[in-house]
Amino acid sequence: MNPTEIKSNILTTTLESAINWGRKNSFWPMPFGTACCGIEFMAVLAARTDLARFGAEAIRFSPRQSDLLIVAGRISIKMMPVLIRIYEQMPEPKWVISMGACASSGGVFDTYSVIQGVDQFIPVDVYVPGCPPRPEGVVEGLMKLQDLVGEEKLSDYSPASDK
Amino acid sequence: MSPATITSQLKEKFPEAILDITEFADEKILHIKSQHILLVLTALKSAGYNFLADLTAIDNLTLGGFERFAVSYHLLCHETAERLTVKAYVSEEKPTLPSVESLWKTADWQEREVFDLYGIIFEEHPNLTRIMNPDDYEGYPLRKDYPRLGRKERDDFPVVNRGIRKKKPLE
Ligand code: SF4
Repeated sequence: MNPTEIKSNILTTTLESAINWGRKNSFWPMPFGTACCGIEFMAVLAARTDLARFGAEAIRFSPRQSDLLIVAGRISIKMMPVLIRIYEQMPEPKWVISMGACASSGGVFDTYSVIQGVDQFIPVDVYVPGCPPRPEGVVEGLMKLQDLVGEEKLSDYSPASDK
Repeated sequence: MSPATITSQLKEKFPEAILDITEFADEKILHIKSQHILLVLTALKSAGYNFLADLTAIDNLTLGGFERFAVSYHLLCHETAERLTVKAYVSEEKPTLPSVESLWKTADWQEREVFDLYGIIFEEHPNLTRIMNPDDYEGYPLRKDYPRLGRKERDDFPVVNRGIRKKKPLE
């Protein structure tokens, strides 16, 4: 192979950016739809906004096969242990989108039985505001998450960084 | 049998059970002592009020009433489409009354709901356990003296910590 051919056939990059590129363009979302936002999330997947364009069309209803938890709807005190369990069942690396006012803050449901924001108990990466958020908003949130994942360091996941 | 006829008949038949008969929005309400609930509802069922449309409770804490709680039974006669409400009063100290599950199977879950949210105990109920709140929940949240924001139960969960370095926040 002559040197000019090598140049046009080989791409150099860092391991980190290659991994991040793969991760951020192939999310496998696990929708945790407990209320109206779950219905709106279906519209995100449907033809008009079509989440598949962002590589996130493989919706998994098993936490063990997914890496992106989308909390769509209000979480009651009875549901919170379930959500924590599901989050813990997801393998690393994993990310969380809190979709809508209820998941992010309890929304209008300021009562004894509704969790006032799931981020009190599980780590949330992106909050999508709205009641419900428009599908475009969810897509924007997903793109924000792609930016975040693109900036991750491999050392973020090493046990040595356990602080 | 029309609500007016049946209520006056019942008043003659069980004078000790009936506290009052009132009318609201063209519908009759029968106020009774709770220990007689099975007697009255059995009579109503055989008089044609065959359908228990709803069973719920009212906390009269600030409303006034014969007792603190009223368990209300909303009956419907399928033949004439007439409705009748029965309110059975139970006290705060001893909130118990007989279950009507033997008359209507649908009362099973509805009584469990009233038990869950008001703490009213239905005797002879086949499975009187909480139906909506978690099993280890304490208190009866629809009672008017229960704080609206609860007793910190919504703040009381373990925080998941992944031991992974905090990510940079997005600009
Ligand atoms: S944010 Fe609005 S649309 Fe979403 S779950 Fe809450 S009430 Fe429903």
